[in-house]
Amino acid sequence: MTNKKIGVLLLLMALFSFGAQAQLTTSVKINEVLVVNEDNFVDDYGKRHPWIELFNNSAGTVDLRGCYLTDIDWKGKKPDVKKMYMIPKGDVLTKIPPRQHTLFWADNEPTRGTFHVNFTLSPDKDNYIALYDADGTTLIDEIVIPAGQRADVSYGLDVDGSGKWGTLSKVTPSTNNVTLDSNEKIENFQRNDSWGIGMTVTAMAVVFLGLLILFLVFKQIGNIAINASKRNAQKAAGEGTTLAANAGQESGEIFAAIATALYEMSDDNHDIENTVLTIRKVQRSYSPWSSKIYTLRQSPNKK
Amino acid sequence: MLTSILLQAAGASESFLQFLMENIQIFLSYTGFANATPGHIIMLLVGLLFIFLAIRFEFEPMLLIPIGFGILIGNIPFKDAGLQLGIYEEGSVLNILYQGVKQGWYPPLIFLGIGAMTDFSALISNPKLMLVGAAAQFGIFGAYIIALQMGFDPSQAGAIGIIGGADGPTAIFLSSKLAPNLMGAIAVSAYSYMALVPIIQPPFMRLLTTHKERVIRMKPPRAVSQTEKIIFPIVGLLLTAFLVPSGLPLLGMLFFGNLIKESGVTRRLAETARGPLIDVITILLGITVGASTQATQFLTLNSIKIFGLGALSFVIATCAGVLFVKFFNLFLKEGNKINPLIGNSGVSAVPDAARISQNVGLEYDPSNYLLMHAMGPNVAGVIGSAVAAGILLGFLG
Repeated sequence: MTNKKIGVLLLLMALFSFGAQAQLTTSVKINEVLVVNEDNFVDDYGKRHPWIELFNNSAGTVDLRGCYLTDIDWKGKKPDVKKMYMIPKGDVLTKIPPRQHTLFWADNEPTRGTFHVNFTLSPDKDNYIALYDADGTTLIDEIVIPAGQRADVSYGLDVDGSGKWGTLSKVTPSTNNVTLDSNEKIENFQRNDSWGIGMTVTAMAVVFLGLLILFLVFKQIGNIAINASKRNAQKAAGEGTTLAANAGQESGEIFAAIATALYEMSDDNHDIENTVLTIRKVQRSYSPWSSKIYTLRQSPNKK
Repeated sequence: MLTSILLQAAGASESFLQFLMENIQIFLSYTGFANATPGHIIMLLVGLLFIFLAIRFEFEPMLLIPIGFGILIGNIPFKDAGLQLGIYEEGSVLNILYQGVKQGWYPPLIFLGIGAMTDFSALISNPKLMLVGAAAQFGIFGAYIIALQMGFDPSQAGAIGIIGGADGPTAIFLSSKLAPNLMGAIAVSAYSYMALVPIIQPPFMRLLTTHKERVIRMKPPRAVSQTEKIIFPIVGLLLTAFLVPSGLPLLGMLFFGNLIKESGVTRRLAETARGPLIDVITILLGITVGASTQATQFLTLNSIKIFGLGALSFVIATCAGVLFVKFFNLFLKEGNKINPLIGNSGVSAVPDAARISQNVGLEYDPSNYLLMHAMGPNVAGVIGSAVAAGILLGFLG
């Protein structure tokens, strides 16, 4: 029994950690990179450096503390964490809210704060950038930025957190690569389904389909249940006995009637009298128990 | 000397009096009397009407009393002095309680309670009644089409249309996601019409049926085994949520509540869900929805339009349900036919709509009890409206 409980607990823990993983650092993507920063975003020190933007592609907050950023391609080798930049622990700013961004400065000045990494980027070569999980071995995301990047033109994903890498039409540090200035879904509906007929037909079809599937499934389940109860009834009646056509399909009303009859039967024919204490009201208005005379102090008898 | 003292005293008392008068004036400017507008008075009257309907005619008193009183609370006029009093002032007590509505976490908890108190036996024993529950969802999309023509944008129209599902929690859940600015009007409209189904539905049920149809006797539902009752919430969740994942908060809680009821081994959980939990949430939901109808935010032309559309959506849902049963009967053998009077129960006002089927049915045949048959489409309507809400959220959210 104890083993069973431990097993269930371990299973739940495994499921929880598996589920939690989906909301953790593995959801982070390298989203946009600016290699040559001449007239673009400045850091807290007022300096311009190449930068790397990370994007939390999940619906939960992700903490990057302890993760590693590197410009060394460790494929085929065991990553050496000493050569990678560990994102410091204990800084609340390393938490990225859902679908939000954070920016790291590739200035090779890690002493300048949490968001300054220990390598830099150069337009003269291909720049490899990778993000490793806190264990130092699990690769979360990687990208090679081709050589020859132009000044103040960034390279990134055409859709935040997914899509294809390419040169972006505008530089968007710490904001979405695709700026949503309209609700495309709604505009689509307004343009193509101004009467709402399309929505009605589609939605009603889905509602009917959903309930139709439920109907078909439960029709089958019902048939199985009826057959099972017929078999049970046959077993109870004995082999060779002919059963009524509706055996196993009796209505709930029949059972309710039988149950009520049994209840009434058992309620009326009892051997032990009910031990009911009835307090009847005394008809007389006077009773020695309620007489005030006994509770009053008697006057002294002066004879 | 004496004169100067007297003059000083007179001057002091005059300035003190002036100070007192100023304070009284300030106090008066803070009272409800000084800040009342015709809008506040109208809303207070609406609140009183709700309370009257609930007590006098017992129209959904569990909903109308909290909502009606909430309307009174929300429409006490006051001067906005940053005292964190109103429901729309961040950090106020009412605002904190209102988060359950605004963030949409009261409705799934209500659904948990509904699941824990609903017996799906009628539906399981006669699963074809599920389709009646689906047909009544035309009310949602009928209102959606009309709302679009009245100038609402698709997401607002979707939020308004859901009133036709006759399901208050679903209406609140969806409107909080699609059109938060219309939520007050949508919620009050949905609950008001849910309370008024005994008035709205019967005339259309009579209008669309013949006497012969109204006296159709349906086969009594068979007894359903516990295994079937346990399978229902599990299979129901898997099928509906796979089809419409956006309905998960409502469907998940509804079927979970039903499983803890039917499993037979979690009686305490089921009793809490269908008892204290749903009562607490109903109180909080009702009072905050009522209070959210602050005249300044609520009394708009849109609110009036929403009320009109709400009534229409109920009518469409009722007619669609009844007509669908009549159509369905064309394909059913004699003896298996469905009484069209249960078509109205496809709206998910549980169990009021089913009770109306029963009452109207008894008017024409005093020994024809339709209640248990009507409960089938009624609970199917709950599932159907949650699925419809999921679809609207998926398309327009």
